[in-house]
Amino acid sequence: MMDKLYLVARIADTRVALRSRAIHSVVTVGTPVEVPAAPPHVAGLFALRSRVFTLIDPHVVIGLPAVAVAEGQRVIVVDVADHGYALLADEIEDVCFIEAPETRIAGKLLPGWARVAEAMIEHDGAALLVVDPSHFITLPVAKAA
Amino acid sequence: MDDLLNDFLAETAEILAEAGGALVAWEADPADRERLDAIFRLVHTIKGSSGFLSLPRVTALSHAAEDALDQVRRGNRPADGALVSAVLGIIDRLSELCDSLAATGAEPAGDDSVVIGALATMETVAATEPAAVEIQLRREDDLSAELRGWRSIRVPLPLLDSVMTGVTDIVLARNEFARMLRESGAGASVISSFERLSDSIAGMRQSVSQMRMQRIDKLFAPLPRIVRDLARDLGKKVKFATSGGEVELDREMMENIRDPLIHIVRNAIDHGIEAIDGRVAAGKDVTATIFVSARQSGNQIEIAIRDDGRGLSPDALVAKAIAARVVTATEARALSSREKLELIFRPGFSTAAEITSISGRGVGMDIVKSNVEKIGGVVELRNEEGRGLTILLRVPMTLTIISGLMVRAAGHEFAIPRGSVREILLESSDTVRIDRIGGGEIATVRGEPFPLLRLESVLGRARDHRDDVDDRALVIVRPGQGQSYALSVAAIHDQEELVIKPAAPMIMATGLYAGTTLPDNGRPVLLLDVQGILAVAGIDASEAGRNQDHGSEAAAEAMAARDAVQLLLFRDVGDRIRGVRLSVIERVEEVPVSALFESAGHIQVQIGGDIFPVHAGKLPDEQGSVKLLRLYDGRAVLCYPIAAVIDIVRLPDGVQPAAAPGLIAGVALVGGNPVELIDPYWLMEQYASGAAAPALRQPLCHLADDHDGWGDNFLAPILRHAGYRVASSDAEGDETPDVLLCLSGEEGAHDHAAGDVPVIRLRTAAAAAGPDDPTVYRYDRQALLDALHHHVMGGRA
Repeated sequence: MMDKLYLVARIADTRVALRSRAIHSVVTVGTPVEVPAAPPHVAGLFALRSRVFTLIDPHVVIGLPAVAVAEGQRVIVVDVADHGYALLADEIEDVCFIEAPETRIAGKLLPGWARVAEAMIEHDGAALLVVDPSHFITLPVAKAA
Repeated sequence: MDDLLNDFLAETAEILAEAGGALVAWEADPADRERLDAIFRLVHTIKGSSGFLSLPRVTALSHAAEDALDQVRRGNRPADGALVSAVLGIIDRLSELCDSLAATGAEPAGDDSVVIGALATMETVAATEPAAVEIQLRREDDLSAELRGWRSIRVPLPLLDSVMTGVTDIVLARNEFARMLRESGAGASVISSFERLSDSIAGMRQSVSQMRMQRIDKLFAPLPRIVRDLARDLGKKVKFATSGGEVELDREMMENIRDPLIHIVRNAIDHGIEAIDGRVAAGKDVTATIFVSARQSGNQIEIAIRDDGRGLSPDALVAKAIAARVVTATEARALSSREKLELIFRPGFSTAAEITSISGRGVGMDIVKSNVEKIGGVVELRNEEGRGLTILLRVPMTLTIISGLMVRAAGHEFAIPRGSVREILLESSDTVRIDRIGGGEIATVRGEPFPLLRLESVLGRARDHRDDVDDRALVIVRPGQGQSYALSVAAIHDQEELVIKPAAPMIMATGLYAGTTLPDNGRPVLLLDVQGILAVAGIDASEAGRNQDHGSEAAAEAMAARDAVQLLLFRDVGDRIRGVRLSVIERVEEVPVSALFESAGHIQVQIGGDIFPVHAGKLPDEQGSVKLLRLYDGRAVLCYPIAAVIDIVRLPDGVQPAAAPGLIAGVALVGGNPVELIDPYWLMEQYASGAAAPALRQPLCHLADDHDGWGDNFLAPILRHAGYRVASSDAEGDETPDVLLCLSGEEGAHDHAAGDVPVIRLRTAAAAAGPDDPTVYRYDRQALLDALHHHVMGGRA
């Protein structure tokens, strides 16, 4: 049953479905602490209980300009390789069971999305990308501009 | 069932490691009944638990070992090396079985008859021999009493870690709550009950960190076995001993130093200790000694691995390093003897003439060093060529807590590990000069140049406009041996004990940060990687290069220095303003009053491992700390207590000299006020007498005809104090003495004067025998010293 549980959210201006087993929790953040000289998708650090989490801005990973973190913004907390990360979410919609099967992605995606999306799923009459949060942690190798 | 098996495996692994060490110790002293009982108990425990889990092979093996050991306990067979080897064989087999049990969850099929047979064949041989040692019999049931005390509770590590995290959360919540309480203006009763809660939380935090501590014994347990096996393979005789096993260390630290420790011990046996004939030739005990000791000093643990082997030969190391292309011949010539020793830490270096099967496992001392440094530790070498090598590992007691200096730059806070901070200065201070040269910056602190890095530009950020320029400070950072630089920051905050956690890989990859930490205010702070910053900034921070590179800049500075003599103004303990030439000051120390002590009417101070005289009439009355100016004349150090440093100024031209030589050389006007100038020449002179210059070669004085020990007991201490080395003329030595003291006055009683060694004869009578009597009355101290001085210096000229 757990396999069918998804978090539906809007990240990087796009509605996506995230498999719930990949997600630790959803929390709100205060003002994060900047990390000078870090890669551009690192939006800062914040503490949750006694752990320090690295805040990731999915916009940058997808290839969009970075957005400012608003006080009280909701973030999706994930654990990747024993480190805690949080993805900035534009909006958290719902956690729900989606009975429909994941299907192969039909159609051509933007290169940024193509790298993070794994499948598509039908929910409430709309097609959502199923993304793996761990793909947001690493930045694509920068192309020579 | 799985839980049971896991418990069994964890327990057995521990027992096997312990049993290996215990067996080797027992082999050395087979009469040690207690040890034998301990081993028997360990094997017995394995047998018991394996029977319960139905592991037939494990049961059969442990049963066989138990049987054999029981025979020894009953005095039916002797304890010998062969038996120990056989039992060790069983222990090895048990370890293998446990490994595959852990991997597959089932006991693999196999035949153990050879291993068990090793025990059995021994028994028949043993039966024909008389029992080698007599062992006192003991009844089975008095073992069970000890078993209870030996047991403790096993807790899974993740549970322990989660308790630790929980407590840290409680502490953070407490801090936040305390802040809210203060702001709300709560009543005294609320505050006091909150304090009580706060205290018990602090106590709990303490106990939880103790839960993670383990005795370092555990780390030492496998070593006796390794030493024994390796020494056997190499045909060397090695005695192994440990001390300080009760010292406790964080479990995680323990994991990190296990491999380095084993590697160092293996190295010591393989390379350090000579083969038996080599030891005989060197006049050493055939049995070498390796001694591993641990001790706690402050929040650090020192682990010393000492061997009495051949030590390191700096010249051989250099030759090898050149051959291995680790350094070039030119570089090698510039190395100090210490740097030569530290060549063994260079990657690609191996001390053995050829890589042996024992140490040549692709792990070198470079890996040892980097592993220890990774956890914030240091490796030190104490070499006595020909007599042995001591390797010192100094590691923090817990991996995670370090003392950090909090600094600000570009509007953010950062932490710098306190251990690598040498000095902190305000940028506006008079002792600091900052020069811009060719786009770079150099900070000169009291004549010593440091490459200057501004933290904002290292981080690629602009300065925060809110920062006050007057707050800007220089942190002199020493990231490693022989390296230093100045890091300019917007402000220095306080110092805190910080819990360090690794940062996310992409943050670590910047090379600027060593981790993250969460101070009490709950806002994450990045810990700067002081070594990494160097690499990122691409500067050469090596001190050696700086001193050799006396470029035009340094020369110009020397010119300027000659023109203007600088004067350090200070307020002395009597509240007078005095000055002293800056160049004679080595540094200003601040020491606790308890470091000062009185000895033979003189005040002395202990700084680190050294004792220096202090120019003071009495010990300070109040507790706390005292500032000391360290005067240095190139040979000796003298400490001069002061109340505070005021300023550094140019020495005025007009100095009114004092009438008589004394502490005050004269008076000068500085800024319109008279300032007494200290005469360092006079000051050093007061403390210089009696202290023989250790750097000079001390003349050797031989005593002859010292039949009643008068020379050794009465005379020798005076001579040594006067700077002579004293030996009996009967002592064998290659060195020709500088002077011979003949204690029986009769002419020609002994013809010791081999060659042209001057002879002084001492007489017992106070009056001289005649006007030309060359002998010296033995209680005329001054005449004796004069005669010695005359002969030694005369002989040289």
